[in-house]
Amino acid sequence: MRVSLILSLVLISALYGSAYSRNRESVNAAVTQRNPDNEAKRVEGEQRFRANCGRCHAAPQKFPPRMMSTIVRHMRVRATITDDDMKLILLYMTQ
Amino acid sequence: MAKVCSSNAFVRLGRPRQILLFWIAIAFLAAGGLAHSQEAQDLSERPVPILTGSAGYFTNVTAGENALTPVVMPVILVPIGERWLVETRGNFSAEFERPEGGGAYGGKVEKNLDYLQLDFIANPHLTVTAGRFLTPFGIYNERLYPIWIRDLQVTPLIFPIATGSSDGVMLRGGFPVSSSVNLNYATYFSTASTVTAFESDRTIGGRVGFFFPRPRIEIGTSWQKLLQDERRQSEGFHFAWQPPPIPLNLRFEYARGHSGSGYWVEGAYRFSQVQTWNSVMRRTEFVGRMQQFFAGEGDVSTNSDSEYHLPHSNVQQPDFGLNYYIKDGLKASASYGRWLGKHNYNVWSFGIAYRFAIPLGRSESQ
Repeated sequence: MRVSLILSLVLISALYGSAYSRNRESVNAAVTQRNPDNEAKRVEGEQRFRANCGRCHAAPQKFPPRMMSTIVRHMRVRATITDDDMKLILLYMTQ
Repeated sequence: MAKVCSSNAFVRLGRPRQILLFWIAIAFLAAGGLAHSQEAQDLSERPVPILTGSAGYFTNVTAGENALTPVVMPVILVPIGERWLVETRGNFSAEFERPEGGGAYGGKVEKNLDYLQLDFIANPHLTVTAGRFLTPFGIYNERLYPIWIRDLQVTPLIFPIATGSSDGVMLRGGFPVSSSVNLNYATYFSTASTVTAFESDRTIGGRVGFFFPRPRIEIGTSWQKLLQDERRQSEGFHFAWQPPPIPLNLRFEYARGHSGSGYWVEGAYRFSQVQTWNSVMRRTEFVGRMQQFFAGEGDVSTNSDSEYHLPHSNVQQPDFGLNYYIKDGLKASASYGRWLGKHNYNVWSFGIAYRFAIPLGRSESQ
């Protein structure tokens, strides 16, 4: 019973996440079109991302900006990322 | 010696004065933050609460005995205003095994509250955290523990030393000390608690690390003092290096406590530069880890509630593993290790881990 319950939870979260990731691809495309002038900062942000976040995990798919704001705030606390790094990573992850 | 003297002087102040001094320090640091501009938010959108975390299912074979291990670790993030964040993580896991003589798999589901904390970003250099938080000792507990992040699902032997969760107040942050070095720190005080789901020891401790972004090297050290029972002390050292030209991740951690000491050193190589079958190879990662534990004179069963325990005798364990990243946040893992202690046996692990992130509100820009 408990095995089934936990397996069901795992399955439901996986299916929901999979469906959600398809939706957010279109959102990311729209965000990219809105900010075409920040290429230098975006490149710098990518470097900061690889240096800071890449120490622990692979690059995730980009999330919508409002989600990224929350995630970056969480990671700023968790991974003690500096203020400058956080800004550039946020820019990179929302472009 | 100076550190010991200052620590003793602090203890001699008595609890009310310690608390007063502590809050004066926080107020002083937070006041500096009030002048901090809203620049950090300029680039951001208004954050939305998120349900995230990881789920996984593993089959572990230890000394020939199978255990089915489902894991769900939900994380809820609730940003408040521009400087506050409430974050919590539950940990639901089980090890279902067959009873002796055969029969259906069964076992107990472990339910733990890993953290439930309120963060206040006082200024670019300081975040104040209150509540239940992951004890900042070494790098594994805070950064590498989630199943979708860890390269090998089997936790290091020294993981129980000075880690787990603490209830109290923590100050932490990170800032550049020069153009080539960033400093990160965390210091905390934890109170003793026997409340169910909020168990913690009365401790004080901290961690400091120096990160060199160009060569991508981090070195750091951790310290913890138990302020109850035998008042034991633990120390740790960590090192991490990602050589920029190659997709290699090297990590090392050493910890010493009353119950023993040990280290683990791990390398993870992603085959993304291999051109043959690149579509498959770039998703494949090979991991190797060597670790040793040297038993001390202390009692290893200090926390019977913890699902992690130190070995009772000297042990070394080499591990090898493969990870295959199927898609973003979804990976399959397999590993083999050999426990070399008083008895020698194999440790196998196979499974799948998934990271999810779901907005609890409108996630698009307004």
